[in-house]
Amino acid sequence: MRRRVAGLPLDVTAAGTWRSAVAVVAYAVPIGFILVPLTSFLVYSFFWVEGGQMRFSLTLLNYQRFFTDDIFLPVFWRTLFLCLKVAGLAIGFGYPVAYLLAGLEGRKKYSFAMLLVVPLLMSYVIKIYAIRSILGGNGFLNQALLALGLIDQPLTFFVFNLNAVLLTLTALLIPFAILPIFLSLERIPRSLLEASADLGASSAQTFVKVILPLSLPGLVAAGTFVFVLAIGDFLTPQMVGGQSGFTFGRIIYSQFGMAFNWPFGAALSVVLAAVVVGAIAAGALFGNRRDEQR
Amino acid sequence: MSEDRILLELKSVTKSFGSVTVLEDINLAVHDGEFITILGPSGSGKTTILRMIGGFTAPSGGEILLDDGDITAVPINRRPFNTVFQDYALFPHLTVARNVGYGLTVRGVPQGERRRRVAEALDLVQLGDLADRYPAQLSGGQRQRVALARAIICEPRLILLDEPLAALDVELRKQMQLFLKKIQREIKTTFLFVTHDQEEAIAMADRICVMNFGRVLQIGSPHEVYYRPSSEFVARFFGDNNLIQGRLADGDRTRRRIDTPIGPLVCAVDGQPEVAGAPAGRQAFAVFRPETVAVGRGGAAENACMGDVMAVGFGGATTLTEVALSTANGPIGIRVKTTSRVDGAQVTSGDRVVLNWSAEDCRLVLA
Repeated sequence: MRRRVAGLPLDVTAAGTWRSAVAVVAYAVPIGFILVPLTSFLVYSFFWVEGGQMRFSLTLLNYQRFFTDDIFLPVFWRTLFLCLKVAGLAIGFGYPVAYLLAGLEGRKKYSFAMLLVVPLLMSYVIKIYAIRSILGGNGFLNQALLALGLIDQPLTFFVFNLNAVLLTLTALLIPFAILPIFLSLERIPRSLLEASADLGASSAQTFVKVILPLSLPGLVAAGTFVFVLAIGDFLTPQMVGGQSGFTFGRIIYSQFGMAFNWPFGAALSVVLAAVVVGAIAAGALFGNRRDEQR
Repeated sequence: MSEDRILLELKSVTKSFGSVTVLEDINLAVHDGEFITILGPSGSGKTTILRMIGGFTAPSGGEILLDDGDITAVPINRRPFNTVFQDYALFPHLTVARNVGYGLTVRGVPQGERRRRVAEALDLVQLGDLADRYPAQLSGGQRQRVALARAIICEPRLILLDEPLAALDVELRKQMQLFLKKIQREIKTTFLFVTHDQEEAIAMADRICVMNFGRVLQIGSPHEVYYRPSSEFVARFFGDNNLIQGRLADGDRTRRRIDTPIGPLVCAVDGQPEVAGAPAGRQAFAVFRPETVAVGRGGAAENACMGDVMAVGFGGATTLTEVALSTANGPIGIRVKTTSRVDGAQVTSGDRVVLNWSAEDCRLVLA
């Protein structure tokens, strides 16, 4: 089929050889650098450690430990819930921004969209430090509130705890929410909005009945992006979470660092990967279902 | 239904985008119950007029009156008009029934009544069995009819149609023209139809408003704009016309002579005071349609001349013959359209023929 689309009677065998050579190279890279480490992780998760020594015989002990130990499941659920909240907040704050952005005229629109991309190019660590300087006990936010006389002593509910993690992750990941929503809003033909108004709808009705449903795929993509990125993050909770802001990512990190239990860390990573794949699949499923109507 | 009551009126409406003027001093009265077509080439400003009536764009000057009340500042959703968009603008996430019922839903019409009226509207456009489909599952013609049903269901005072047939193929287009006319007669609603297609305008309209370069050039019945153009542009716009330039000579209020390279021609000027009153010597065109010219019969016709047949083109029902008339400044071609005959054309290339046409069939437009 593809050959016919090009409209040229190519020499099938020669082109075929080339094509497969290119394909091998193209597929070898992702297989070599992504699939192999992932598989080795999966295999690792069935090994175990005894007295600081790795035992290379297969066991389900790591998974058993995850599901039965009192520590891990609560942190796991708490992290899932936290990341859902991050996704919700990012969509909640990101949607209005994307909406305003999509409503701008021509050049202005894309300049502002570029501005949103700029933070994505900055170092992650610098951004976290910047947010830390805002959120800390003596941070900018508390200082400002004190100076305005709105509070008498520094607030602590967003200092080195899960709330700090929530706010920081949201701030870091919001561009990932804005962009897919912006793109889905961009794809809505103007004439649909005109048709809605023409048929008597107010702006609010047009938003609820036309704009929101048609931007839902972008909204779901935004939620999936943010959730997946948030749940895999260990650096942010490490830096702004303090003692109480313990997340699943930090536990995995500690298995490789402090505890030196690679097989258990690998098993926890496999659980995390399963959640991520599940989230992406759910998002994609939703997208496909909507596409069938088009 | 009184045809002459004015429903909507545009008074000295202008529109400019920055320094570009797209509409200049538009005056247009839409009569209650009529099918009025705004006809013009692309860029003539016809869609801008429709968009201003619909409320999608605000005029830069002038006013729009509905039943003599100023609606220039009334927002889109409060105007009792509905639009059939060029790309149909159906909501892709809603079924046909929900698309059609949209106007009722946003007005809070109760579900029972809504269902009944949606079913009625879908029956009217003969789509009753497709109520649960999505727009993506419909053909172009079906989408077109959904868009129409959606526009008529709110019982608007005026339906605006923005080149709705442009995307359809020729056969379907002809069908839809008849269909639209039929619906318009059935629901007795005023239609304002925008198109660039002369044949479509002639086939459908009660009145045609011809536009070019942001101005209204002529408003009249299809017969009037076709046979009695008031300007060179209108005369040329309805294809195949014969225009011969010359200088106005003497005349009275009903007839006037024009001196042309092919000799003096007598033209009717009744109803054209600006031509009847123009000074002698003024440049003008004699305009006569190919089908009004008779070949080979000397007769009572005021205008006659002799020429050589250059080409005979059989076009089905009619045959178009090109005749060259020699003048001091080279030949001038005249097109003659005759009803085709089963035994072949009456004339062939190279024949010398006499052409006649009456003064009534010959009009004048100022150059």
